[in-house]
Amino acid sequence: MQIRNHFPPLHQNIRAPHLQFLNPRFCSMAGQSDPHVSLFSPAEIEFFAEDEMVDIVPNLRVEALNMICGDYGPFTPQIPAKVPLWLAVALKKRGKCAIRPPEWMSVERLTQVLEAERDSSREFQPLPFHYVEITKLLFHFAQDDIPDMYLVKSMVEDIRDVRFHKVELGLETFTNRTQAVKLKNLSAMEANIIRPFSVRALQAFYKHDIPDVASQTAATVNRPSMADRGPRRTLRPR
Amino acid sequence: MSHYYDIDDIIVDEELVSVVFQVTANGVGLLDPGSETNSVEQGAKIDVTFWLAQELYLREAASINLPMHFNQKTRKEVQADPECVDLRSRCPYFYELGYKIAPMVADKELGTFISLTFNGRYKEILSKSHGAAFAAVPKFLPRLTKEETNLYEAARNSMIAFKEWRLGVSRLEGASVLGRKRKPIIGEMHGPTP
Repeated sequence: MQIRNHFPPLHQNIRAPHLQFLNPRFCSMAGQSDPHVSLFSPAEIEFFAEDEMVDIVPNLRVEALNMICGDYGPFTPQIPAKVPLWLAVALKKRGKCAIRPPEWMSVERLTQVLEAERDSSREFQPLPFHYVEITKLLFHFAQDDIPDMYLVKSMVEDIRDVRFHKVELGLETFTNRTQAVKLKNLSAMEANIIRPFSVRALQAFYKHDIPDVASQTAATVNRPSMADRGPRRTLRPR
Repeated sequence: MSHYYDIDDIIVDEELVSVVFQVTANGVGLLDPGSETNSVEQGAKIDVTFWLAQELYLREAASINLPMHFNQKTRKEVQADPECVDLRSRCPYFYELGYKIAPMVADKELGTFISLTFNGRYKEILSKSHGAAFAAVPKFLPRLTKEETNLYEAARNSMIAFKEWRLGVSRLEGASVLGRKRKPIIGEMHGPTP
């Protein structure tokens, strides 16, 4: 069987390390000059998510596949193998494998997570960094492999809504004393949604916070000094 | 902080502020519409653009009056209810102008006032932008200054992009060429019969 290598969309042709999400330079680029552009489109985030590994049960016999990003296989029928999501989806589309849903996608685990999310008003539950994208891809391409698909789907939606509500409550706590924001366990897609807004909001707060105009001599138009900007405040104090 | 090519930063400089000349200036009579000679008298009160006012101020040729939209009346209104004040009609670049003008006017509280205004409005209006993205056009939109509108748009657009992605099926689009049908060739019209 022939399997083509995975072609990224034209606008994103490198497999970039996930560290990009954390790089402050990237964050400050987002929406700085143009508010309409967030740094990553949701499709690009989905592209990153396809590097996550999943278990598949192939039903074909094929030699190991040597890809730019690594070697996968060899595949033997009924012997589980670990492959990146993009390869799993490509095989699944051709009917060459069954995808084993990750164990956090079971109804029991999601029920636990949903309850915990509802119980704690500030903390996020640990979920995979790309859970929004992985679930979307699996719901679309591997419906028959997920037991109780509709229940799982609605639970993931609920979890996402509860979490985003918390994110919004967190955004409300920004003040001119906010210097840094700590969001533990925030997922890639959630971070990407609030990135343009929150970065600009923090910039605006920083700009409008004129600490002590009185101390400046009348003739200087210097920018206020950066010293004394208060203690570091976290968005979700722990 | 602001970008050299930041268009908003450039437009703020066009805002009119009123200045009082401290010296008599010859040859610039066109600045003062009421002037009969080609000079501006000492003590004349004129509206000039901010960039000019700034230069005059630095040369101690003029002093800058506090613009009307920072006066006590506005401050009282903002203190009462920051979210209901229509800042756009007063000055679309309320924060930026205030920020630039603060060191040049004798008002010690202006900086604090601007900061408090933004804090209040952020908490009441802007922090809800992500959720508000799907109501038709929110009521508060015409009251926002330019900068606030930018923030709101940033939130709205990223939320819309996310919703589109969630409903969309495939991110790969077929090339337009593929949809085109091939012209049948006359000779092949009589294809093989089963």
